[in-house]
Amino acid sequence: MKDIVRKLDRAFNPRSVAVVGDKRETDYMWLRSLARFQGKVYSVQIDEGELPGIEALGVPNYRSLLDIPGPVDYVIVAVPRAVAPQIVGDCIQKKVGGVMLFTSGFAETNTEEGIRLQQIITDMAREADLNLVGPNCVGIFNPRIGLRHTVDQYYGDGGPVGFISQSGTHATFFSLVGALNGVKVSKSVSYGNAVVLDSADYLDYLAEDDETRIIGMYIEGVRKGRQFFTTLRETTRRKPVLIWKGGETGEGTRATASHTASLAESPRIWDALIKQCGAIKVSSMDEMVDTMKVLLYSKPPAGNRVGLAAMTGGQSVVITDAFAKEGLEVPLLTERSYREFASFFDIIGSSYRNPLDISSNMRSLGRIIRCLDILSQDENIDSVVAELSVAFWTRITAFIPGFVDELMHELSLFKERCDKAFIAILISAHVETAAMEARGRLMERGIPSIPSFERGARALKKVVEYYDWLHATTC
Amino acid sequence: MIDEVISAARKGRRTYLTELESKQILKEAGINTTEIRLARTKEEAVSLSKEMGFPVALKIVSPDVLHNTDAGGVKLNLKGEEEVARAFDEIISAVKEHEPKAKIEGMAVQNMARPGTEVIIGMSKDPQFGPVLMFGLGGILVEVLKDVSFRIVPLARRDAREMIREIKGYPILEGYRGQEPANIEVLEEMLLKVSDFVEGRPEIKELDINPIFAYSDGAVAVDARVILEPERED
Repeated sequence: MKDIVRKLDRAFNPRSVAVVGDKRETDYMWLRSLARFQGKVYSVQIDEGELPGIEALGVPNYRSLLDIPGPVDYVIVAVPRAVAPQIVGDCIQKKVGGVMLFTSGFAETNTEEGIRLQQIITDMAREADLNLVGPNCVGIFNPRIGLRHTVDQYYGDGGPVGFISQSGTHATFFSLVGALNGVKVSKSVSYGNAVVLDSADYLDYLAEDDETRIIGMYIEGVRKGRQFFTTLRETTRRKPVLIWKGGETGEGTRATASHTASLAESPRIWDALIKQCGAIKVSSMDEMVDTMKVLLYSKPPAGNRVGLAAMTGGQSVVITDAFAKEGLEVPLLTERSYREFASFFDIIGSSYRNPLDISSNMRSLGRIIRCLDILSQDENIDSVVAELSVAFWTRITAFIPGFVDELMHELSLFKERCDKAFIAILISAHVETAAMEARGRLMERGIPSIPSFERGARALKKVVEYYDWLHATTC
Repeated sequence: MIDEVISAARKGRRTYLTELESKQILKEAGINTTEIRLARTKEEAVSLSKEMGFPVALKIVSPDVLHNTDAGGVKLNLKGEEEVARAFDEIISAVKEHEPKAKIEGMAVQNMARPGTEVIIGMSKDPQFGPVLMFGLGGILVEVLKDVSFRIVPLARRDAREMIREIKGYPILEGYRGQEPANIEVLEEMLLKVSDFVEGRPEIKELDINPIFAYSDGAVAVDARVILEPERED
């Protein structure tokens, strides 16, 4: 077992959790979040006024961490900042596996008192080799054992995605938005001010974690920069790592004497680092989730060439624009494919050049699927992209009952036999709810479905680039 | 040699190395530079230029003059003994006028490199990630368009290859419209040598090799500037 795994195992997979300082004012959010935790839960609170509320939740309360019988693996701290040093001291004495400080008001406030207190807890934790997560964060989410930040999050069943976030909001939202899109978390951590454990440590840990197949990161700045560079470069060979870089380093304009230094602005260095390490750069939550969807649910694209199937003419034009703009190639098909199209495809009001405009063939489910099969078998094509029009389905279903159910069934059969990358694009148009539902049904069948051409094109391009990089690295 | 150059600068409480010193260091790191030697007198300048072969360039060597050209401290393309002697005197008087207190150590005599495609290789230190290398086309393309690429040290060969191809001006290096193409492998090699060199020399804070003349059969560093980290007071 690698050192980092041994070091962080108790914190990420605790069998006992203590919450210090939970209160009515926040509706006992931390104790409530542990309602489904599959281990022991303790409360530490000295305020008599809070005790009835804690008792009502059925959680045993102690006046000090040190009073808890037996070991404590993970501690959630929600006390005022002035008390933080004392609690950190107790954690050291209790030999806990890890402590997360939800408490904020430290260096991020840029006040003398905040900086002073942060220095105290940092020195204490480093000296004792205490696993301190944060401060100013929401810590670890491990859905399989029911360790959560909020009751909105799922439990019992996790996914294959590790997430490391400097922001608590992004960590929580990622888990919720991701779950809606079939992208579920194995383990995630929000780490705030990163005074002891930094992004590089968590990356190192998740790189070793067998439950984690893909890693996403939201980063504002790193403290252990060299370690981050080395770990990232090593991890991407084994698992895709997606990086969403927020904000600036705050270095401002540095006094520089050389050309090089004056041009080496932080965003350019980050871009270079991400590229050099073979990580995937994303610039929003949506891009993060879309790209993960394609990575998780699609077969790896072997190259840059896409076969595009749109349901109508206007869409066939703009889907081509969107994919070409991202640098994906929309090539002509082979003669063999064209001969096959010619044998059945109704070309009145439709076209099969690539992009395909299925139009008049849309009412025949068999023809739609046959189009996709031809694209998937064409030697000039690496990925098949199908625009599925929810708006038109609704109309078709009016006179062909059961059309959508059958389409879903046929698409999942197609997905099974298609040995190339396959994604579906379902724009919402004026039927937002129906589109969301349809995307959900496709995701259930393992078909990555994305709500716009541009987002689909961007996600596919990033995945193509990752596999290109991986291919060039491993051979 | 590198240690000697650095300790001389430390002794003089300087963090800016002269062009002469910078090139001595680069040469030792395995990077091809134009021939450069120090002449302390006019007579030495004349005899060195005869030895190197005309045309030559003269540049003032003074720790107090940072921008040679602005101070009138540079004369290029000198084609004979008389031109060299005259240029020597002109530079001395121009620098004295511009920077009366400047300590003049002598004159760098350099052979003039045949013009080639200008590129720049540089190093600076990122506060988070440490030393990074930059590559770009020299002159106006780097200054106005900022058409440069970066990689974190140490570079793998693949990084060197990619950072050269990443700049928008790459077709110029391939030999645009009949111009002499640059030997890309030589430039890759140069990037890797700079990467190796700065990795082992943490006392170097910034480095500009600008310009490098790139040819179809090689490349030569024409000007260079090395800046040291401030000396630690411990």
